[in-house]
Amino acid sequence: MSSALVVREKKMTFNKWLRVLAWRHAIALLAIAFALFPLIWMASASFDQLGKINTQSLIPQYRGLDNYRLLWENPDQPYWRWMRNSVLIASINAVVQLAIGATAAYALSRFRYRGRKTTLMTILIIQMFPQLLAVTAFYVILADLRESIPFMDFGNPIALLVIFAGGALGINAWMLKGFFDSIPSEIDESAKIDGASHGQIYVRIILPLALPMLSVVALLSFIGTMNEFLLTSVILGGNQDSITLAVGMRQFIETDFQENWGAFAAGALIATLPVMLLFIWLQRFVVSGLTAGSLKG
Amino acid sequence: MKIKNSHRLPGLFLKIFLLGGLNAFALWSVPVLIANDRFLYAAYVAISTLILDYIFLSSKFVAAKYIMPGVILLVAFQIYPAIYTGYIAFTNFSVGHEFNKQSAIDSIISNSLEPVGDDSILPMRLAKNPEGTLTLLIKESDGNLYAGTSQGIKKLPTNSWSADADGNIQSVQGFSFLSETEEAAALEQLSDYFVPGLEKNVKYRVADFTNVERITPTLRYDSQGDFVENILTGEKYRPNKNGSFVSEAGEELEPGWTARIGLKNLERVIGDERYRTPLVKVLIWTFIYPFLVVILTFFLGLFLALTINHPKIKVKKIYRILMIVPYAMPGVLSILTWKGMLNESYGIVNKLLPGTIPWLSDPWWAKVAVVLVQLWAGTPYMFLIATGAIQALSTEIVEASEVDGASPRQVFWNIKLPLVVIALTPLLIASYAYNFSNFGSIYLLTGGGPVMYDSGGVAGHTDILISYTYNLAFTAGKGRDYGLASAVSFINFLIVAVISIQAFRRSKQMENIN
Repeated sequence: MSSALVVREKKMTFNKWLRVLAWRHAIALLAIAFALFPLIWMASASFDQLGKINTQSLIPQYRGLDNYRLLWENPDQPYWRWMRNSVLIASINAVVQLAIGATAAYALSRFRYRGRKTTLMTILIIQMFPQLLAVTAFYVILADLRESIPFMDFGNPIALLVIFAGGALGINAWMLKGFFDSIPSEIDESAKIDGASHGQIYVRIILPLALPMLSVVALLSFIGTMNEFLLTSVILGGNQDSITLAVGMRQFIETDFQENWGAFAAGALIATLPVMLLFIWLQRFVVSGLTAGSLKG
Repeated sequence: MKIKNSHRLPGLFLKIFLLGGLNAFALWSVPVLIANDRFLYAAYVAISTLILDYIFLSSKFVAAKYIMPGVILLVAFQIYPAIYTGYIAFTNFSVGHEFNKQSAIDSIISNSLEPVGDDSILPMRLAKNPEGTLTLLIKESDGNLYAGTSQGIKKLPTNSWSADADGNIQSVQGFSFLSETEEAAALEQLSDYFVPGLEKNVKYRVADFTNVERITPTLRYDSQGDFVENILTGEKYRPNKNGSFVSEAGEELEPGWTARIGLKNLERVIGDERYRTPLVKVLIWTFIYPFLVVILTFFLGLFLALTINHPKIKVKKIYRILMIVPYAMPGVLSILTWKGMLNESYGIVNKLLPGTIPWLSDPWWAKVAVVLVQLWAGTPYMFLIATGAIQALSTEIVEASEVDGASPRQVFWNIKLPLVVIALTPLLIASYAYNFSNFGSIYLLTGGGPVMYDSGGVAGHTDILISYTYNLAFTAGKGRDYGLASAVSFINFLIVAVISIQAFRRSKQMENIN
């Protein structure tokens, strides 16, 4: 844009500024205060040496890192073990979800075969039923299988991962298919003429081109697993060694809200910040992923 | 660009590795599953493996190679559980009715074991016979020594053994006593070790390392007549339709078994006042809660999007990023933080407000609390999609209406707003469906509470169907009734299906199926 074409904006009078913009800023700041307050309160509690709900003030009177030290030392709150479990389960799950979702999406986007429409319809319908609705059935299924297949047992993270893998097609394939559709098929046609197999086209052309979208799906899946509470607590809840951060932190804070408040806040802040920053960094892609296919027209 | 064929090799190795692993798993697990009577699971593993082998070893089914693994998992852990939920809803699966009938009979009989005679505890030594088999040397009250294994028992000649003055067995010809370490090693085997007794129905059970107990079952199962009989009194317990053996006097033997009880669970939740009243209340709230959340978050989000989306606001981007912070925070942790902030006596919210609001203990305020927290958590999403929709609005339509003389107010109310709402309707319905089963937002904040007193403590005033299901199935002291929980869950499935069909009809996604 050349600057000569830009119409010079008149400087706003103060009155006009007040009428048009001031209230917008005021509302924005109010909304931001509401949005940030829990985070700020969490941070404040985490630096409060007293570590209790009832004595907390916005700027703590006695500041220090005692609550953080407790994350290492308190045997009632094996925070880093929970964190390790969560990160492990969430990472493996993200990879599995992506592998299953992306391979299926590639086929749905690129191949024309009998039964394709049925597959698409089925996936579309099934993605509307979250797995957690069947929580009692999962309990009974594990009770059925535990004596036969050792890893399909309560308290075993593999059982949880296998169950989550069942939802992969429903959650991710549709979103990824939409994105793969937007990659021009001329690219893979020409690769095909050069002698590339369907597997090579997938691994060497489609996947690299879809990398931003794949990372968003992986991130959403990662956050989703970190946040999953119902199935995780039913399946892993009985085994204190394998519970995740979500389940562990709830147990910890529920046993004594008043006493454990400071240590909870410290742990919550550590877990929140990286996820939050990553999410905000990728937010543009996240939005386009979430609304894929729905905002057109 | 020429892609070299050598790159096919790693793919081939991967294929061999994965298929090999799958087949090994099938070969190992199918026999085990069959041995445990899990025929359905065994068949599923076997058939899935065969299908995958066939697809991957043939070159005909290209698309299926990419889709089938996901489909097989989908059927096993998404479709089957949904159907299974429906099936469990027709059974009495619950604590005390967790196993099949044969297991129930076995544990009824073994629970009925009682000591025989006044001197039922007898001295015993653990030993090995010449072949090395674990043997119990039992000194019966008749003064004789018997050598017993789980297979049988025989009397030892009087001159083959000796005892000290107190009657303790000293040495036995042909047998060597177990050392302490051997005893410890045999502990697990001994916990379930029976030696057949000298009379019918009598057995010896290991009491500790130096004693056995002479016992007999007081109940027996008659497979011809399909009843359990008390051997001493002759009282008969017959199977009833609820999966229990019951005497004529109404005494029930525990445990029972999982029986198909037809529509009884549904009858209970619909016909029985104790379940119907809370269910109806929960159901109403399950509809209202997501409605309130979607309407409030949408209008707040839209309002914020419109407010900030003004060309003269230079810090738009910063505002936007700060506003979506709640959406980026891990929900479990932020909801638990809210729970602390809303604490009635210590929480910051009540400190800031005049007066004390019973946020989590009053039925109405608890409802306000869950909506408020979800307003905080859900508005950023609505803000984001509303911003997207506003920016995607065709400027032509807006300009055309301005040329036609519409005032900015008219443009907003008659053009922009309807277009945005129409564009976002599918997402709003999806959001409704999501919040319909938003377990965490309820359970982590209020636990469904405060408790409804007329529900026997199982339902709470902020419970939605999914958290009510959880209480019925998994909360100690409240539930452990999986059959009933599944019936409620099944109702949940049906409602989500109806909502989904609505969303489906309105969404543009159908057009993408091509």
